[in-house]
Amino acid sequence: MEPTRDTHYTLVDLLDRVLDKGVVLYADIIVSVAGIPLVGVNLRVVLAGMETMLSYGVMQEWDQKIRAVKELQKAGLVAYARATNLSGEMTYAKSGWH
Amino acid sequence: MQQEDETEAQREGQGRYLYCIAGSGERVSLGAIGIDGHNVYTIPYRDICAVVHECPAEPYQSTDRELVNCWLLAHQKVVDEAWQRWGTVLPVGFDTIVMDKDGVGAEDNVRNWLQKDYDNLKDKIEKLKGKAEYGVQIFWSPQVIAQNLTKTSPEIRQLEEAIKSQPRGIAYLNKQKLGGALKKELESKADWCFRDFYERVRRHVDNIVVEKTKLGVQDAQMIMNLSCLLPKDKAAELGEELGKINAIDGFSVRFTGPWPPYSFVGT
Repeated sequence: MEPTRDTHYTLVDLLDRVLDKGVVLYADIIVSVAGIPLVGVNLRVVLAGMETMLSYGVMQEWDQKIRAVKELQKAGLVAYARATNLSGEMTYAKSGWH
Repeated sequence: MQQEDETEAQREGQGRYLYCIAGSGERVSLGAIGIDGHNVYTIPYRDICAVVHECPAEPYQSTDRELVNCWLLAHQKVVDEAWQRWGTVLPVGFDTIVMDKDGVGAEDNVRNWLQKDYDNLKDKIEKLKGKAEYGVQIFWSPQVIAQNLTKTSPEIRQLEEAIKSQPRGIAYLNKQKLGGALKKELESKADWCFRDFYERVRRHVDNIVVEKTKLGVQDAQMIMNLSCLLPKDKAAELGEELGKINAIDGFSVRFTGPWPPYSFVGT
């Protein structure tokens, strides 16, 4: 597969890098308030908002899938539905791993 | 603290917004390509330079999401431009502004920093020549993986079989047990995948930083998030390996880049 630079997801990936990484300078010549270098402090809050927005867009997709699963359940495809229910527990378990 | 009677013109010029360090001693203007259309130019010291624009000694801050994204993209565009022009850059993170201090101007402070830190910066530039950063994010679908585990794990298969023929009460308890068993299997599968994929990626790259995974969606959870440093001409090789992982049932890979080496220039 080829690396990409121009999709919606690569933008998020890139902005993370621009915001959080890079060469570190001596703090005493960097613009700061009360000794705390102000490297994007407020921006993090803004970006958090953006991520929420993104996940909201994604959630709509998820919602549609859940509806589709419900339909499948009705249609009697129990095995698939069960795997989906279990994955609901997995989402919770996952927060414990990382 | 700024004096109230200070004019805009006086305040301008008290800071230098830093984009990156490049391996060139050239004193040159790159034009009005900076954040908010600022003129971007270099401050050279020997054979390296800082790529900057002139600004007030105040950080860029806003709660306007669009505006912030514009700034971040403008920052990246300048770093990209310098990267293309000089081949190797050490990117600086967004909103790093050098100020004047104790009577020393911002521009002199940038130059003094280049001088003091020259050996370290030069060494990093040399080591990063011809290399780029790539993002590798691997996702899995817990549904698909769980279904496959059902086929391969004897314990889970037995429980499933038993549930079918058991009275409701016992079946309920065994369903609970099945859920727990699957969860455990999925966790150990995730660990195994992480080690296996990490090893497979490692063979094709010079350096890896393991990043925090991000919340995915229910049918595509991120199980690993890596920043990889490698020679640009080896990207195809890594891509081929990632293609194999992407082809495994239930897995998908996001491969981004080439980026300037943001994750490999810290102290």
